[in-house]
Amino acid sequence: MAVMLGGILLAAGVMLFILEPVFSGRGAPLYDGVDDFDEGAARRRVALTALRDLEYDRATGKLDGTDYELLRSELSREALQHLETSARASGDPAAERASRELESEIEQIRRALREGLQCGECGHLNAFGARYCGRCGETLAVRG
Amino acid sequence: MTVLGEIALWIALPVALWGAIVSFAGGRTGRGDLVLSGERTVHVLTLLLVVASLGIIAAFLGNRYEYFYVANYSNRELDTYFKVAGLWAGQRGSLLFWTLLLSGFASIAVFRNRRRNREFMPYVSGTLLGLLCFLVIVLLFADVNPFERMGFTPANGRGLNPQLQNYWMTIHPPTLYLGFTSFAVPFAFAVSALLTGRLDSRWIAVTRRWILLSWFFLTVGIIFGMRWAYEELGWGGYWFWDPVENASLLPWLTATAFLHSIQIQENRGMLKVWNMGLVVTTFLLTLFATFLTRSGLIESVHSFAENLRIAYIFLGFMGGLAAFSALLIVHRLPSLRSENQIQSFLSRESAFLFNNLLLLGITFAVAWGTLFPLITEGLFNQKINVGPPFYNRVNIPIGLILLALMGIGPVIAWRRASPRNLRRNFTLPLGAAALALAVLLATGVRHSMALATFTTSAFVMTIVVAEFWKGTKARARIAGEGALRAFASLVKRNRRRWGGYVVHAGVVVVFTGLAGAAFDTAVVQELAPGEAVTVRSAFGNEYRLVYESLSHSRPRVAEDARENDWRWTALMTVYRNGEPAGIVRPERRFYPVMDQSSTEVGIVSALLEDLYVIPSDVDLDSGSDRVVFEVKTLPLVPWIWSGGLLVAIGAVVGLWHPAPVRARIPRRQGVGGPLPAGAAGQMS
Repeated sequence: MAVMLGGILLAAGVMLFILEPVFSGRGAPLYDGVDDFDEGAARRRVALTALRDLEYDRATGKLDGTDYELLRSELSREALQHLETSARASGDPAAERASRELESEIEQIRRALREGLQCGECGHLNAFGARYCGRCGETLAVRG
Repeated sequence: MTVLGEIALWIALPVALWGAIVSFAGGRTGRGDLVLSGERTVHVLTLLLVVASLGIIAAFLGNRYEYFYVANYSNRELDTYFKVAGLWAGQRGSLLFWTLLLSGFASIAVFRNRRRNREFMPYVSGTLLGLLCFLVIVLLFADVNPFERMGFTPANGRGLNPQLQNYWMTIHPPTLYLGFTSFAVPFAFAVSALLTGRLDSRWIAVTRRWILLSWFFLTVGIIFGMRWAYEELGWGGYWFWDPVENASLLPWLTATAFLHSIQIQENRGMLKVWNMGLVVTTFLLTLFATFLTRSGLIESVHSFAENLRIAYIFLGFMGGLAAFSALLIVHRLPSLRSENQIQSFLSRESAFLFNNLLLLGITFAVAWGTLFPLITEGLFNQKINVGPPFYNRVNIPIGLILLALMGIGPVIAWRRASPRNLRRNFTLPLGAAALALAVLLATGVRHSMALATFTTSAFVMTIVVAEFWKGTKARARIAGEGALRAFASLVKRNRRRWGGYVVHAGVVVVFTGLAGAAFDTAVVQELAPGEAVTVRSAFGNEYRLVYESLSHSRPRVAEDARENDWRWTALMTVYRNGEPAGIVRPERRFYPVMDQSSTEVGIVSALLEDLYVIPSDVDLDSGSDRVVFEVKTLPLVPWIWSGGLLVAIGAVVGLWHPAPVRARIPRRQGVGGPLPAGAAGQMS
């Protein structure tokens, strides 16, 4: 008897909880207030991540100069393209921040490459301030 | 409690049905109240299924043998520990447990998305509730109701299968089930993306971590299963290509394929239809694994018995879901067009695509072998089983190519790789592989598959280690950080990538461990106490095992009372190269209630190999203490478990990948109301 009563109470409670929104008119949101997912920004982040990885690949000597330049120009073009579409869509400060962080990291690696940290001859990555390559002895030229 | 559990299961049916209907209707008509009601239903359903599951556990603990399920999987003598695990010991309870876990994951998905991804949510709830509704209907009406009573109450139950009376029983099935059930969430998001037509990268961003989570549970569950087989089945192996093992491997293979191909979609906007297909296929395979795992179809293969009805119901449901998903994909084909094309055969895209094809090749081969007995029975009225030789012949070569691709993929350039790029990146690893081959040949290794595996492993491992080394070095130089800090920030900046490399390293270690099987050695010898047996391993270690004594377990209560099991435990001292290396206690057990015996092996693990002792034969009647021992040395088996651990660690690193940062919408609004202009088109 007690069990049956428990069962009835359970069923009644369940019904009340499930049907309450229908009777009270309370509803769940059907769309996000601000479109919280910006496709352009997402694509741009992907392109920037790929660009960042490319810079690392160059820095670690996985890619040589020609391959690097070729892929870099393609990826930069894509990142720029998505920047334009993203700028037209609603701005999302958090997504923007993430992209900015990626961009600054890319700039950091590029600067390291530009400042001649990496030997143009053997690809060895040298310490800051080095004038000659630690591996092959080549003069470290500052590249443009 | 048990009756209340049964009532809860009955209440769950109309609740799930209501929830599924109102969720879809709410999404379609733009009524927020219906959507909210549907979402509440998900949580209520979880509560009801918890009550139902507790009801079954209470029946086990209370020895309620009037329940058919309890009587078949428990007895008075069973430890409490296994009585609780009785919930998933058989088909009926497993299905209830599966339904509970699915509902739990549905609740988590609904709760986490209460203020975001809102346009997906009505269809996500609707899909998940539809699945739950189906499962509850099966539980109640397909002769698998765990609450079904018999017309009488037996004095005792039949007991639990001895092979399940092992602590892995409490760990392995739940882990695997977590993997199976959590995959329903990505499936629901995929269906929702197809229904709403919002097929940009959002659904991928939302589900990526869910898929990695499922993959993590599946991986760990499979490795636990291997360990269980290794410790409990007592033949010295860990994988037998048993249909049940295969069933758990199938969704893992397709999920692995997805985790790779999704990167091509993210980076290059390609393979959208393929990825949708993989999500749907993986989910269908988790369903397939579920009903295959506990009797049903599989028992018909082995014993012509059991409840085939449920197999047909599941097959019908899977067929329906497959057709529904295929129709949706075809309907959305224009939105799923590829944005790019593969530019070169020598590119990362192409390596990933090749990896996908190979993984699907293995999936097909394993599915074919698993279903072959049924196919031959259907066509020729004769069951033909395929054994491990079939699987090994097909899968080992494909596995080796996949292993090589694990090294090639991470270093080959996206879009197109130039010969210079290949030379730069593959000279060192190829050199390492050649060196490994030379060393192996010089040490007398001649087994071709083992040579291929070890050489390829050296190739891949060199690449992975070099990636970490070069990456850390570059980061240290560029950011001016110390080595450790540079390593940490390198991983932190792209957890998915570096986590993936750790997974690759783990898989290499597992493969190396598997190849060790080529060098197993074994000795079978009957010993009396005081005698010893000697066995030599492939690594040149000599093991001497002295059989000290045999102890017998005595009935714990009155002489006529039935015990759960009787045990004969041998005590052996192990010497490795003359030095004491430990003590093993291999055991034979007899389960009087089940009239079955089982073996508990003794294992001494070292860094490179396991010593594995099986008491093959103990004379249970004469009281003689002579025992036939089978002593094996199993090289590199410990590497399988360490590799598995590494894979799990890698997956966890990847899981920590921060979710896309998104602005959240304010707290729940008053009334959902119709969609704003512009959003309405997405709901078509």
